[in-house]
Amino acid sequence: MVQRIAGMMASFSGVLMGNSTAPRHWPAWTIYLRTMGLFCLLWYAMSWLTPNKILLPSPLDVASALRDRIDDGELVANATVSLTRLLVSVSIASLIAIPLGLAMGTSRLLEDLLEWPVELLRPIAGIAWIPLALFMFGIGNGLPIFIMIYTAFFPLLLGTAAGVRNVDRRLISAARTMGIPKGTLMRHVIFPAALPSIMTSARLAVAASWTAVVAAELVGAPSGLGYAIEYYRSMLDTPSVMAFIIVIGTLGFLCDAALRSLSAALMPWANAEEKR
Amino acid sequence: MTQQPAPKITLAHVRKEFGGTPAAVVAVDSLSLDIQPGEFLAIVGPSGCGKTTVLNMLAGLEPVTSGTMTMDGKAISGPGAERGVMFQDYALFPWKTVVGNIGFGLDHGPAGHGLSRAEREARVTRAIDLVGLKGSETKYPHQLSGGMRQRVALARLVANEPKILLMDEPLAALDAQTRIILQDELLRIWGQDKPTSERRTVVYITHSIDEAIFLADRVVVLSSHPGRLKRIVDVDLARPRNDETRKSRSFAELSQTIWELIREEAYRATMR
Ligand SMILES: Nc1ncnc2c1ncn2[C@@H]1O[C@H](COP(=O)(O)OP(=O)(O)O)[C@@H](O)[C@H]1O
Ligand SMILES: [Mg+2]
Repeated sequence: MVQRIAGMMASFSGVLMGNSTAPRHWPAWTIYLRTMGLFCLLWYAMSWLTPNKILLPSPLDVASALRDRIDDGELVANATVSLTRLLVSVSIASLIAIPLGLAMGTSRLLEDLLEWPVELLRPIAGIAWIPLALFMFGIGNGLPIFIMIYTAFFPLLLGTAAGVRNVDRRLISAARTMGIPKGTLMRHVIFPAALPSIMTSARLAVAASWTAVVAAELVGAPSGLGYAIEYYRSMLDTPSVMAFIIVIGTLGFLCDAALRSLSAALMPWANAEEKR
Repeated sequence: MTQQPAPKITLAHVRKEFGGTPAAVVAVDSLSLDIQPGEFLAIVGPSGCGKTTVLNMLAGLEPVTSGTMTMDGKAISGPGAERGVMFQDYALFPWKTVVGNIGFGLDHGPAGHGLSRAEREARVTRAIDLVGLKGSETKYPHQLSGGMRQRVALARLVANEPKILLMDEPLAALDAQTRIILQDELLRIWGQDKPTSERRTVVYITHSIDEAIFLADRVVVLSSHPGRLKRIVDVDLARPRNDETRKSRSFAELSQTIWELIREEAYRATMR
């Protein structure tokens, strides 16, 4: 019995940590369901104790609001808009930041040149640019995409550059003793060696960008999940607001899960490397 | 007049320091040595005596601090595909399978120039057979044992067919039987059965005295801290060498000689 509880606890912490080395007696999703069930129960109790239902709607109200938003198409429409913006901006950010990061990691000169501008801009949160961007882009796609590219750019740039700088020197030496030319060295040694670090920074970039899209859409866009939250808030429809918040969380989680499987598919050799 | 051709590689008063002054470590000092074309030269010495450092300088991966190191009369200023290296810690590409690692130089470097795809694949297959890795072709380095990784590194070097082979303890992680089989194979690859002019040039680091004697034409014994030339021992055992060689009297005598030379160094190194 004690062993079994210990095992369950181990596998639960395994789920939290995102690794699967712990022996597992229950499938991960049952444990997840149980945790969520407990959370909903607490939530229900608290909303029951709250006199004003607008301040804290009950889980049942939120569930029915969620169904309504699915039925009237608002959920799919706004989620599609936000996800498209995420995809577009992270792609654009990657296309600029990854090559620049590769160059920065290999060239001392470029690193010195970029270090100061990057260090000055990086601490400024993307959402700090919203008021200014509102003047520049007005309300529409431009503003959230600008904010999200900005947000995704720095983790990608710095993660790629760090990945390149930390490439095992011996691998470069080995390639050089085989007479591998410079361009080939970048493509076939430095890039694959830095890929785990690049993928990790892509996950950070997507997570940060997803946070920024909601903030940007709250003020700067006539569509998207952030806009929906603001719209239903003005209608005092808090169950719908909560429903959209849950959707944002779920989609963020799913995006990360997708990136993790992409990493695993791109780097079948990397899994065991990390565990060692 | 002697028949001796010009040396392939010449080291003259080579010194190597690591780190800035004044805290510099002198890894190699006043090392002078000629390596003949077609020669199999072994280097032995206690660990930390600078063997790997010498090899890295020969490979062109580390510059000499002072002195000169030349190949065919020209200073060695960087790595080149004619000098293949097998590293002590293998330096396999984690993202490449066994086949991808062994074929890397053929696929991306000058070793594969002028070879068709089929010819390159045939070379990789031969190298895999040579080191006994059949059945592990699609595995990644992290799925292999230490001994298997070492054999991949050996196969990668062999597949590139460099004119000069620089090998750093290439068989150290293998079991005794595999090691003996691969010693024979190495002698074949080097060109034991061919005239000297057709042989490759090998610089072979090992910590096994018997291995050095069995393989080499000459054994360089280094002393430690800093690495200096202690003695060069000529191995005048007949070729081709085989199991009989290992059992011969002169083999035992040479082994004894080198052991005597190395013993005080080994004690000095372990007692430090
Ligand atoms: N990159 C380095 N930086 C500083 N010291 C080094 C470096 N490489 C080797 N050394 C030092 O040089 C000496 C010789 O090392 P090495 O050539 O690896 O010896 P061996 O291969 O004979 O065991 C050692 O004292 C080692 O600590
Ligand atoms: Mg060494």
